Amino acid sequence: MALLALPFILGDGYYLSVMNFIAFYAIVAIGLCLLTGYGGQLSMSHAAFFGIGAYTSAILSTRFGLNPLISIFIAQIVSATAALSIGSVVLRLKGHYLAIATLSFTIIVEILIIETAWLTGGLQGLSLIPYISFGDFIIDSDWRLYFIVWPITMLIMLFSLNLVDSRMGRIFRATKESEDIVRLFGANVKIYKIKLFVLSSVFASLSGSFYAHFVNFISPTAGSLMFAIDIIMVLAFGGFTILWGALLGAASLTFLNEYLTVFADFKRTIYGLSLILIMLFCPNGLLEGLKDSLSRLISVKNAGGD
Amino acid sequence: MLDLNSVSKNFSGLAALTDVSFDVKNSVIKGIIGPNGAGKTTLFNIITGVFPPSKGTINFDGNDISHKRSDEIAKLGVSRTFQQTYLFKTLTVLENVMLGRHYRTRSEFFACGLRLPGARREEKLIREQAMECLDMIGLAGKKDRIANKLPMGEQRYLEVARALATEPRLLILDEPTAGLNEFERDDFLNLVFKIRDMGITILVVEHHMKFIMKVCSELVVLNFGEKIAEGTPDEIQNSPKVIEAYLGVEEDIDY
Repeated sequence: MALLALPFILGDGYYLSVMNFIAFYAIVAIGLCLLTGYGGQLSMSHAAFFGIGAYTSAILSTRFGLNPLISIFIAQIVSATAALSIGSVVLRLKGHYLAIATLSFTIIVEILIIETAWLTGGLQGLSLIPYISFGDFIIDSDWRLYFIVWPITMLIMLFSLNLVDSRMGRIFRATKESEDIVRLFGANVKIYKIKLFVLSSVFASLSGSFYAHFVNFISPTAGSLMFAIDIIMVLAFGGFTILWGALLGAASLTFLNEYLTVFADFKRTIYGLSLILIMLFCPNGLLEGLKDSLSRLISVKNAGGD
Repeated sequence: MLDLNSVSKNFSGLAALTDVSFDVKNSVIKGIIGPNGAGKTTLFNIITGVFPPSKGTINFDGNDISHKRSDEIAKLGVSRTFQQTYLFKTLTVLENVMLGRHYRTRSEFFACGLRLPGARREEKLIREQAMECLDMIGLAGKKDRIANKLPMGEQRYLEVARALATEPRLLILDEPTAGLNEFERDDFLNLVFKIRDMGITILVVEHHMKFIMKVCSELVVLNFGEKIAEGTPDEIQNSPKVIEAYLGVEEDIDY
């Protein structure tokens, strides 16, 4: 409800556009939250899939003149196929090894984007990407986009909440603790991990496609390592195992991004430093850390009352 | 129903099991005993597919399961508990048991995420069946607790409930009464009989002699990875070989 009212309060302008960027971040973060927070598979490839989603859709509609809605759809199929082939190989790895393998994938995608300039525009980026349109109704304002991306974000959130609280969700959460034990209860963990990876990657890619068609311009930063770290930051703020936290994390990071622009290049330093601090003091994420200390505070208070 | 045929296991040269053969008939409670390091847990891990045997075959209900994955073996109806209880600590008591229903149910990703009617119906059924299992072991009142915050005794029971939720044909209990007191142990004995009366075959490893002699109709004795005896509890108690393995042989010392 609050989300429905928000654009009327903020009005069409800067803050509404910030809200839309929060949604782009949040969709990616929800996917990563499912995969890493619940499923225990530490992946750094979500930036790459955001990039694949953005570039595939952009290339299809600029160079081949496809309707954005169709190219967005095809882009998801491309991403899902890529995720399936990468996932079935790298998901044999665990923990840090998986993180490094997926990180390498992100680097490869970034280099490919830069080097295939004839297709992707290379470092110049790709511009003049058409807006999404339904017939004559063109999604060309923050206002209109808001009513497209936020309902999608909420649907994805609802889907994820349902999934976590289902027979599949229980398997993911248990897989995070011990794959071997889960297997002893008749679950083919290998297949499930790949499916979750594909789903989570398609979320990232979907966000990328929407981003491309709204901003009308994409550059290799869309699929870059820095972006991969940004996404991890979102979860670090929001908590790895709180789906709603992904929204809060996305919001805090987007606002930080805006307010820290005055520091220019030092922004990264501040991010890095805060990421280290968060990992040191609340390895499950800032929000979760706060939640824990709050409940500890309450229990101490109760114990003191006796 | 379970048939082990000269099963051997080497861990990089170290023989953990050598030529172990025995069978378990339908609806009996069979015990495996032996001193520490005799290979009992290794044997369970091989039967449940945690790792394959180096040699030999295992048949379950006419299927050769020697080289099957653990999830495939589980699906044939083999379930187990663990020597060190292993409950999922981010799941509640009820969710742990619900997880046991996993391979008996079908809803996939999208059905679950979209909460399609079929998935919703199935989820309700899973919950009811899991509650029945909890009722049976008397933990229904604690269903929303975090599983590993329960006292040890209740954790053992919960593991049994989770295993039962899979509707196993063979239930493997690995030292189920470790950490239980005398009173809880008697209680557990009754539970094991109750499970057998449901038609479930039980294979149990246990150190506590009084318990195992009471609960089992047949016993296998392992020592240093080899089977040294097999028979009824009475036969085993009077077998010189077993007494030797447990107490050591008395030697005349020559001065």
